[in-house]
Amino acid sequence: MDRSDQQKPIPRSKAWLLRVAIVLGLLVIGLAIFTRHRQPPASAEPSARNVTIQDQAGRTVTMPAPPRRIVAIPMPAASMLIAVDGDSRRLVGMHAQAKEAMNEGLLAQIFPSVSRIATDVVGSGFMPNVEELLETRPDLVFQWGERGDDIVAPLVKLGLPVAVLRYGSEADVEAWLAIMGQATGNEGRVKQMLRWRRSAQTEVADAVRQTPGRRPRTLYFLRYLSGLQVAGSNTYNDFYIGMAGGGNAAAAISGYKTVNAEQVLAWDPEVILLNNFETELDPEDVYNHPLLSTTTAARERRIYKIPLGGYRWDPPSQESPLMWQWLAMVLHPGQVSFPLRARVAEAYRLLYNYEPSSAEIDDILRTSVNRRAANYGVFSR
Amino acid sequence: MNVHEVQLTGSSAKSPKRSERLSLFWCVGLALLACLATLSLTLGRLGIPVSSVVGILLDNLVALEPSWSEAEERVVELIRVPRILLATIAGAGLAVAGASLQGIFRNPLVSSDIIGVSAGAAFGGALAILLFDNSLITVGMAFAFGLVAIAIVSLAARSGGRTPVLMIVLAGVVTGAFFMALVSLITYIADPEDQLPAIVYWLLGSFASADYQKVLTVAVPTILGAGVIYLMRYRINILSLGDEDAAALGLNVEQARWIVLVAVALITASTVAVAGVIGWVGLVVPHVARMIVGPDHRVLIPASALIGAGYLLLIDDLARSVSAVEIPLGVLTALIGAPLFVWLLRRTQAAGWGGA
Repeated sequence: MDRSDQQKPIPRSKAWLLRVAIVLGLLVIGLAIFTRHRQPPASAEPSARNVTIQDQAGRTVTMPAPPRRIVAIPMPAASMLIAVDGDSRRLVGMHAQAKEAMNEGLLAQIFPSVSRIATDVVGSGFMPNVEELLETRPDLVFQWGERGDDIVAPLVKLGLPVAVLRYGSEADVEAWLAIMGQATGNEGRVKQMLRWRRSAQTEVADAVRQTPGRRPRTLYFLRYLSGLQVAGSNTYNDFYIGMAGGGNAAAAISGYKTVNAEQVLAWDPEVILLNNFETELDPEDVYNHPLLSTTTAARERRIYKIPLGGYRWDPPSQESPLMWQWLAMVLHPGQVSFPLRARVAEAYRLLYNYEPSSAEIDDILRTSVNRRAANYGVFSR
Repeated sequence: MNVHEVQLTGSSAKSPKRSERLSLFWCVGLALLACLATLSLTLGRLGIPVSSVVGILLDNLVALEPSWSEAEERVVELIRVPRILLATIAGAGLAVAGASLQGIFRNPLVSSDIIGVSAGAAFGGALAILLFDNSLITVGMAFAFGLVAIAIVSLAARSGGRTPVLMIVLAGVVTGAFFMALVSLITYIADPEDQLPAIVYWLLGSFASADYQKVLTVAVPTILGAGVIYLMRYRINILSLGDEDAAALGLNVEQARWIVLVAVALITASTVAVAGVIGWVGLVVPHVARMIVGPDHRVLIPASALIGAGYLLLIDDLARSVSAVEIPLGVLTALIGAPLFVWLLRRTQAAGWGGA
């Protein structure tokens, strides 16, 4: 528009025409966008290489080819996917906390390339950052299925193949493995992993059944440094405490809840398990606590930081069978005994095709931070 | 406004009957608070017999043969006593802050949340949890940002050397909204597994982490602030007549109002620093007090302190002993405070604030 145009007012009839033209133009652009997005995603077309999986919401997810780029939003799913594949090449996005566990544990050493995997694909509350996520060009996204539709819908809207996982029982974990195995064509490996999980479960249960006496009252702290958050019934922690022959001290409450120190004293746990989410957390924090140091667990020095291997052992993971064996030995010292160090090495050969050194097994079992705990010598070489 | 004048003049010429009623209120009130505090010592998730509680306390004065466990002694001395102190002091402080604000703003809906101090302190605390993870710094930052909020309000509200009431309230609402947005921003940035639960828990308000250091942190500013407000009780009475009347009576309106506001900021920030944002106490308690002792701030302020102390103590007793899972204080104060407030408003429509 030149200067003369600006100075001369546009005639009324022309202004009217201009407005109509603009409105029509916008309408056309809008319609074009609308119809483009109405088109079904191209991936739904049938083809011989189609991969079809059924997720835990019962939805069928079809992909035109085996996915080569996978984003795992649920924390345990990232390292589990690496284990299912025996390799990290398919994982292109994960939760920042999942990466933190890999860096703190052994996985970042076994698979150095995980340090370059994107973590900005997911924000707080497991809400996907869709633009960052698209940047990773995923062929498949794993997302939590029991935390509402808000965190799933944005992914579905983009036409991305989404498989949801449900958190909870051991049966759910087996389903995760089955889904991952199907998606990546690793059914054989998954079958082996599932067989290991079931036989370990039977082995631990049998060993515990032969121990005389009571089930020690056991308390798991999901949070300790910022409010005392414990695992009640209906948690995965409750499941393995029971399986390893303990009684969950917090069984009266359901889910993860914050309690006060007085309530912990009222429960008086005999064994305390400390989480791996709080990196700084150390059994000394409990031994030095003015109140919790009077619990039976503290007096008998039975406070343990849970091990951390390919992933944290406290939530469900590909290494859960090792956690069950470790816990059964912790809860029944001198009565239940597994060659745990050999079992760790065996598991790492299966899961990651890796031979851990003796020092690395020490790190996994946290022998240094747990050195003052009762009976922890059995886990040293 | 007429109602106030009538009632103020009515109460300044103390009738013997009225002063009798007041002394009865003080005797009963103080006795009830003492009983409640003692009773609170025996409440909790760990069942400790009353005799042990008494023994544990007496043991500090005269050496006794302990018939109780070490755990019980620590629970009483390191959890229950500081927690009861914290609840009473914070309750008294919040109620005094609310009463004085309702007086100087001549508005029954005002509490310390409205002038942005709570939000400022909440932001400071949340920021500290995000950055430092040290409880001492959390307290310090909450305190500092509470005072920053009141400074922003004072700068924003001042126009031509004067600060009209409406401007203060508006500036307070805006400042509060701004700091709440910053709090939301922090909860967005915070590590969802590590820091977020800590921030959310702290914001909801709880005395669960009470210790003697926190008692000291809240006691010193609260006693200081409440003391200043008590010294200002005559001027708050005059301010409650409205700016023009107060100025006509020879009061330096600006100065008096800001002294009260800073005292309120001191009290509120220290409470937020140790226990997060506790709503409703500063709003509801002054109304209860006004219903009992009338609108004269010379009596209303100490009466609010007494009732506030008892109210928050009672609520904290419920929070810590009803269920295995600690109930957040903010939830309880709102659940109990909101219906109570409605009931009070309906009852007092014809009296107290009815004319304002």
